[in-house]
Amino acid sequence: MDIENNISAEEQLSRLFGGYRAEWLKEKIFDLFTAPAYLPELSDNRPCMLIGGRGTGKTTVLRGLSYEGQFALTGSDASSISTWSYYGLYYRVNTNRVTAFRGSELTENQWIQLFAHYFNLLLCDALLQFLEWYQLKTGTTLSLPAHASKEITTSLHLPDAASFKEITEKLSISRIAFEASINNVADRQIPPLTMQGAPIDTLLRVITSHPPFVGKSFYFLIDEYENFEPYQQQVVNTLIKHSGQLYTFKIGVRDLGIRRKATLNPNEQLISPSDYVRIDISDKLKDKQFEDFALKVCNDRIRRLNIPDAQIISDIRDLLPSLSEDAEAIELGVEELVSSPKAQLFALFPEHAKAIGSLHPLFIYFLSEWAVANKSDLQSAFSDYLSSQDKWATRFGNYKHSALFGIRKGKRGIQRYYAGWDVFIQMAASNIRYLLELVDQSLLNHLQRQGKLNQPVSHKDQTYAAQRVGKKNLSELEGLSVHGAQLTKLLLSLGRVFGQLASDPIGHAPEVNQFHLAEASEERNQITQTESAVVGILESAVMHLALLRWPGNKLGAEGDTRDYDYTIHPVFSAFFVFSYRKKRKMLLSPDDILGLVNSPQRTIPEILKRHNRTEEPLPEQLEIFKGFYEHS
Amino acid sequence: MSILNRPTLTDTFETLDSFVPDPDSAYVFGLSGEERSAHSESWEARAVKVQFVRVSQERDEEFDAEIDNEKCTVHLRSQKELAGFWRKIGKRRAYLDITGLDHKVWAPLIRSALNLGIHLLVVYVEPGDYKFNASPREGDIFDLSARISGISPLPGFASLGEMDEKDVYFIPLLGFEGIRFKHVVEQIQPDDSRILPIIGVPGFRPEYPFFTYDGNRPVIEETSAWSRVRYARANCPFNLFYVLDDIAAAHPWATLKIALIGTKPHAVGAVLYALLGGRSVELIYDHPIRKAERTAGSSRALVYNVWALSLSTAHT
Repeated sequence: MDIENNISAEEQLSRLFGGYRAEWLKEKIFDLFTAPAYLPELSDNRPCMLIGGRGTGKTTVLRGLSYEGQFALTGSDASSISTWSYYGLYYRVNTNRVTAFRGSELTENQWIQLFAHYFNLLLCDALLQFLEWYQLKTGTTLSLPAHASKEITTSLHLPDAASFKEITEKLSISRIAFEASINNVADRQIPPLTMQGAPIDTLLRVITSHPPFVGKSFYFLIDEYENFEPYQQQVVNTLIKHSGQLYTFKIGVRDLGIRRKATLNPNEQLISPSDYVRIDISDKLKDKQFEDFALKVCNDRIRRLNIPDAQIISDIRDLLPSLSEDAEAIELGVEELVSSPKAQLFALFPEHAKAIGSLHPLFIYFLSEWAVANKSDLQSAFSDYLSSQDKWATRFGNYKHSALFGIRKGKRGIQRYYAGWDVFIQMAASNIRYLLELVDQSLLNHLQRQGKLNQPVSHKDQTYAAQRVGKKNLSELEGLSVHGAQLTKLLLSLGRVFGQLASDPIGHAPEVNQFHLAEASEERNQITQTESAVVGILESAVMHLALLRWPGNKLGAEGDTRDYDYTIHPVFSAFFVFSYRKKRKMLLSPDDILGLVNSPQRTIPEILKRHNRTEEPLPEQLEIFKGFYEHS
Repeated sequence: MSILNRPTLTDTFETLDSFVPDPDSAYVFGLSGEERSAHSESWEARAVKVQFVRVSQERDEEFDAEIDNEKCTVHLRSQKELAGFWRKIGKRRAYLDITGLDHKVWAPLIRSALNLGIHLLVVYVEPGDYKFNASPREGDIFDLSARISGISPLPGFASLGEMDEKDVYFIPLLGFEGIRFKHVVEQIQPDDSRILPIIGVPGFRPEYPFFTYDGNRPVIEETSAWSRVRYARANCPFNLFYVLDDIAAAHPWATLKIALIGTKPHAVGAVLYALLGGRSVELIYDHPIRKAERTAGSSRALVYNVWALSLSTAHT
């Protein structure tokens, strides 16, 4: 993407970092494409399921594999097209289309036949569109022998046609007729249907007999597979299972978006790795891999900034400096807090004045808070420290991070800083969209406060950005699915619980920001209505990235809801003010979960009480949800 | 397509008492539980030689009605049964009162009536007032599951053709509930630069357009769609039709995806445009679950001569 230099820095940033959704970038997507490390796995000839939450880059990668993407990524060089080893055809599952294939007018078996036919038309049309594009770009004309044409038109129940172009036109008319029959499906005047996969095979056999395509593969890149009805997934699964030499499938799907693994043969399942390669983005882009990928994405975009006569820090890590815990404690005002205990220590232990003077204020704060939490006093605590310094070093190590949350407890303004490239990487949790949002918002805050791009962004601006991104994504949750309100309520309640636990850390287990569900009693195998409702809510929360989950202690690959540990997605940590680090977990019952959604006013204090905390007044950023916390 | 003088083809009756359906016509209506849909009884008492047909049940795929005291069930995705419904009524002139009917029922009925050449007049009764919070505060949480059933085509209006996204313009007809706008944008994923929202101006009350802006602010702002907002009178399907026609004329090769998330008269305008506009149109609908208590009372009755529009478009 070339950026004209007369555009303001804000506007340029917005174009480069603000368009974090592949769907928004549209044709610009390829200019900003950065290949993730797992791309080679996806590019070979096997069917793949690319699994990841919203914003993990599925669409970008799939569109990068499409022929339009390959063309753009190879410098729009038409002469190279015929040398490609595969041609990818991108299709996003359109809810407004696929939901037409449901209803009580027909049985599921009848819908299967109709949908399978529709899917045949869809993929054949995509192939024919590709051929048109190919001929246009390469300036060639692909001949169509009469017998080959006859094979194609017969398999699609089309009238005779003399060229690919004519087949495309006739297919379009056939699709319109089919559309009319679906719109009047209760009249049961269904045109002749095609056999599942048969016309695709026929068309591809003809295409791959042409010299440019001999030995080449075709990839159907199906995005948002979760939008299919369950029976429609079975139809597509059947094609995946039996795809072979001519074509294969690369499927983009959200976590938990695979609702049926069976094919149309009820005894046949789609199994990884024998039938497809499962690429879980959160596994493939973990920790260092994600950081490397994200760094490349961000620094590539910074390089495209075009601001005349301005120096720009070219490494995002330098633009977004972090704060050490010690430095953060000072920023948060710990020195003022410890002035009295420190004076007390000097008075009580004059012989240790040098040692006391060299103690970091955060440690003195911890020491005095520890004494209070354990109903002791500062003198005893310091004496104990003098005699067992190793023990206190370990203890402080355990609580140092969490102690920061208590420094500004009950005060207005920033409670904790969320700043630094490393912190943003953890907050994004392998989600490139969230990371770009954090960077974009930080840089915009910086520029709006008259900052320059040759100066690092302040910790404050980064923190405000992190809060804002959390709030934005919280408010977006509502619209993501029909059940978005439940997810918003769950997140608001859980966030409040974790925020309150974090603000009163010392004397309690530090950094509790995860939960797992209570075991069902062994004698009772039945799943109650509550449990089943909770499973639905938690799965939806994971699917829409309100929560993250990972297998608990005793689990293999997949299990039931109780076998997972859950945490709020760390992108919300700055908004609710809890730790973005994956640390300790608490136990919640299915009733707690439902209570958090339906009656937070009662349930939040109950859970806090179990953890020996009481509810404090709402922090500033949560005040807009006062109505929810106080009157739900 | 150009329609001479762009008539609004609407008769406005300031009070419900001042309207009586013409003799020798049919009057198809439903009762939604909203007070404003309950006027049919008094009209029936005053009307002469008018056949009143009540849609007694609305389901996802069919509806029940009574014609001459005989119950019939009509599939919404059946042109035969829909035509059979009108034929059974047997009138050349018919009123379709959409006030108490769901979009999924009245839209296929309009399509079928116009196909049969019935002189169709659509009736819409405005409420006395809206009871719901027209101006929600930031932080209010909308329960979409209590509000919508999710996106799926209106019966008879599914379109299966895949189009090049570069040729698609997304036209949300905005109402107060920004969460519905958010939801359709999330599902449809239109290109920001090709979102052309339409807001009802003048609104039912002078302040309503501002509520519309306020309720939809996050998406309007995020996508910069504020710079492309168009206006059409909130209670006028014809005004909406002409605005759509202008958009279509400005983008001659585009497909229009129109999201029906605003007023009912706007939805009628969009359905008419899909039927009569002569352009490639896809309707997007999220199937809201209407609450009986959302409005109170009733005020004016508006009678839209959609048949006349169908004649105008047929001759252009």
